Parts: sequence; structure tokens; C-alpha cells
Amino acid sequence: MSNQQHISAEEFDVRDYMRLELFPHFLCPGCGHGMALRAMMWALYENNISMDKLAVVCGIGCSGRLGAYIDSNTFHTTHGRPLAFATGLALARPDLHVVVITGDGDCLAIGGNHLIHACRRNVNMTCLMLNNEVYGMTGGQVSPTTSKDRYTTTTPYGNREPVFDACKLAEAAGAGFVGREVTMQVPTLKDLIKQAFDYNGFSFVEIISDCTEVFGRKNQLGESAEMILSQKAGTRPDSYGNKVDEPFHPNALKTGVLAMTGRPEYRAHMQPFKKEG
Amino acid sequence: MTTTDRKITNVLIVGVGGQGVIMVSKVLALLCQRQGFEVKQSEVHGMAKRGGAVFSHVRFGSAVHSPTIPEGEADVLVALEWAEGMRWLEQLNPETGTFISDTHKIVPPFACRNRSENQAEVYSRETPAEIIGKVAQGYALDASGIATELGNERVANTILLGILSTVFDFDEDTWTNIIAKFVPKHSIDLNKTAFLTGRNWVKTATIPDVIAPIESVTSSQTQTYSNKLEFTPQWCKGCDICVRMCPEHCLELNAEQVVIIPRPNDCTGCRICEWLCPDYAIKLHKTALGTFPQGADSSEIKLDAG
Repeated sequence: MSNQQHISAEEFDVRDYMRLELFPHFLCPGCGHGMALRAMMWALYENNISMDKLAVVCGIGCSGRLGAYIDSNTFHTTHGRPLAFATGLALARPDLHVVVITGDGDCLAIGGNHLIHACRRNVNMTCLMLNNEVYGMTGGQVSPTTSKDRYTTTTPYGNREPVFDACKLAEAAGAGFVGREVTMQVPTLKDLIKQAFDYNGFSFVEIISDCTEVFGRKNQLGESAEMILSQKAGTRPDSYGNKVDEPFHPNALKTGVLAMTGRPEYRAHMQPFKKEG
Repeated sequence: MTTTDRKITNVLIVGVGGQGVIMVSKVLALLCQRQGFEVKQSEVHGMAKRGGAVFSHVRFGSAVHSPTIPEGEADVLVALEWAEGMRWLEQLNPETGTFISDTHKIVPPFACRNRSENQAEVYSRETPAEIIGKVAQGYALDASGIATELGNERVANTILLGILSTVFDFDEDTWTNIIAKFVPKHSIDLNKTAFLTGRNWVKTATIPDVIAPIESVTSSQTQTYSNKLEFTPQWCKGCDICVRMCPEHCLELNAEQVVIIPRPNDCTGCRICEWLCPDYAIKLHKTALGTFPQGADSSEIKLDAG
């Protein structure tokens, strides 16, 4: 770590940006969402984004509840609609820094349609999708990202459905910035989110989180320490540079910045109409 | 040394991965072959990716039967990295051997076993003056530094090759022609310059008083820190992540499943527990205590004793 990063790590205290009266938060012991939220707040701190100029939009689910703990402008919207809500907010208030925190069920199942159209429009906002492979809050039902043969309350014989790759979906739908990281790599995740914040356009970050209580226990994936370690072991940084290693890790997920395009932001399309009106 | 007064000439080339050990040995081997000698070369490579040790034996003479150099019979030892040179010094012929080394340091990870902030690494402590005093003939120079000045740090091996060329009687053009065969086309000129720089460096240098100081990676002053972990016990849910992830194993859960630190002095302040705590129950406060001369602080003494 460079000296500057040392200073940032020392000065940044996540508790300065939290509604401490609500603590301890409602998340289960060992839930990765807490680390993801820390990385997000750290990225905001390093990018010098004021809490007054921040707007956090959350959906429904474990991830949706994270917004309640941020001491800023936060919105708890209906299931699957945070992206639709945030699109309107970002267009009406371009001065705000809009961040969407959503989950895998919220973003890909019920809100899947909103995701692809948000990617298509490329409105300037950041979507952090916390992927824990399960509907945790409602008791552990199967979600679009549940891995094959995993047991959930609605797949007692193992999940037979193919898995949704959210990053490929977002990239294909036209998102300007697509990235993926595991929660365990907090400083790396922070750097990735910082890049997503800096990007002018729709930036999509998939954060692979762990659900210990209703997913890990049912599938005997061990405690949270084992879960986050196995998640880290199952991923390879895209910038790793060792193409020769790829055959040895056939199932590894790529992490890091997966796509970054120079597509025009939504307001650039709308500029001519604004002049006429 | 002339190449005719002994039956076999042994050259040992050592370094770490990616420095060009194999390239130097190939140049030497092909050159000797062109001069009509029988050449045998043997190497350990493939460590380049991990930054591990790489060495190459080159033997040439009128008849060579074994590809490896017997212990203590190397006539020339070319070290592309200082500590690797120290590691292979035993192989050098103590009476007649020539030692050629870059003083540039490449510190391996296991030389940094003390994970506290700014601790001195356990690297070779021999100075070039000591070593050059020991061997029959010795050259130590900051080849990597010279190569950086020339424009590319990677030509450090060619500079050392230039020094190696002065040990033998082959003429300059023979060397440069062979080098041109082994380097990329766009860097032929740069490598020729580097070769001549090395070759001329020996003429101007006085032997064995040549001492290129090893530049220190850490400063002579060691900053020490006090690491204090602040816990918020009412937020801790006992998920065990910090306890399992702490590289120093200095955290534990108490009977109420709340994190405590029974061994606070082992904490190196790496912040892993702080970053991985999903409940924000841990905050590290790192404060600078002041500077001490390197080697004088207690952890360094403990390390030497252990």
C-alpha cells in the first residue's frame, strides 16, 4: 500500500457515515453485505462525494435494507423498481450522485426488465448488485443466480436451472461500465466502486456476497470465513495477465473491470430535444 | 585468464526469474561453439513467473563430458541479483574464480517475515567490499541502475555480459554479433551500447576496490507504530471472520461470542479484521510512536534470536 492509501485507511471511519442509533444492524452474523457497504462508503469518502449530494436508492431484500443505515438521502422503493426510480431521480436532479443498491432477486428476477432498460438508456448512475445467490430475507428461496445443484427451500432436490450471469447481461444490454468483485477484497472492491463512480454513464458492479444463514448452512458451505475464502478462490482477476492459467481454472469467475465503453450518456441523446422545448 | 590454459572453463550464471539468465548463458554457449569448443549447458528455469531462482551452468573446452559444474570449481560466477550471488558463492573456485554481480536487490517475500510496519527485511547483509575482498577477482556494480540510465532496466544482463566478456579473449565484434541474434530487433542497438558500457566499465574501474553501495530499500530509520484495536462489543455478532482471518492469530471470541484481543502485542496493524468486520465493530487506531535506528527496535532483535 502506498502512503496515501495508509492515510485514507486510517482517516476513514465507516461509522462517521452511518445512522448509529440503528446499530447493530439487522444483517445476520457474517453477512457479506456489511463489507460491501463499507467498501461503498470508503469509495465515496475517497472520491470526496458529500453526503448531501448523495442519493441512495434501494430495493427490497437484505440489500435493500442497507440504505437505512447510511446517513444520507436514502430511498426504499418497491420490489425490483429501484433502477426505474433512480432513472427518474437522476434525470430530475443531475446534481445528485445516484447510487442504487440492489440484490440478485431484486435486480435480476422481478427487476430484470428495469435492469436491461437502465443499461440500454445509460443514465449516469451506479448500480451495486449484491449477489448472495438466494432470497435471504424471505427465507431462502431460489434466485436467478443460485448455482446449479444448490439446495434452497424451493429447490429441495437441488437447483436444476441455469445460472444468470448478471455481468454478461448488463454488458450485452449496453451498460457502459461493468465490474465484478467479491466482498472479501474490500480495498480492491473499493477501487472498483471508485472507478464506477467516476464513470459517466450507467455503471454496473456485481458484488459477490455470502449468505451464511439460509444458503451456506443448507448447502454445507461452512461458516462465513470459509464462504468468503471459497468465493475468493473461485474468482480470477481479469487483469491477472496470465492467460496460460486459464485452462487450470475453467470455472473461475472473472473479477475486476469487465467492460468499459465510451457510449454517450442519456442526457447527450436528450440534449437536442431540450433546446427545442 | 585464457581459455587455453585449462581443459574446461566453467561459468555459472545465476539470478531470479525474468532477468535474462538464460539469454546470457545462450550467448556464451553459442559464442564458444562458434569458436570451436565443445559446449554443454544445463539450467533450471521456469521460476520466472514466481520470481524464483534461476541458474545456468555453461561448460566449454576441448572435450566436456558432464553438463554440471563440480562444487567449488566455477571459474566465473555471474550473479544478476546480489543475494543469488551470495547463495552460489560456494560454487566459485576460491583461488582463481571471478565473481561478477549486480548489486541491485530483489527482495523475496520470505525475507519480510516480520509483518509489522516498516520492518527491516532479512536480506543478505554482506557488503560488496567484503565479498570482493574474499574472492580472487570481483566486480560489483549497480548494473540495473546503469541500465535504467541507458533507457531500459532489462539490459542489465547485457551490461554484466560485457563484464563477463573481459574475462575471456574473444573479440568485441564476435560478442556483439552473437548478442544481436538473441535480443529483439528493436533493442539491438541498446543492447550493444549496454554491452560496451559493461566492457568499458572494467577498464576504468580499479579492481578490487570497486564498491558499488547497495541502495537500501528501507531508510536507515524505522518508523514504529502503536496499533490499538477499538471494539464495539454490543455490535459484534460473533461471526468469527476476524478471528479466522487474522494473519497473526491474535483475536479470539470470549464466552459471550464477542471478539477480544488476548495478544495485543502481536497485532501488526494490517487492518484485515477492520475491513472484513461486517458489523463495523472493529476500528484500528494506528499512531506513529517515533523513529528508531534500524535494527535497534525490539522486534528486530527478537527476529535475530529466533
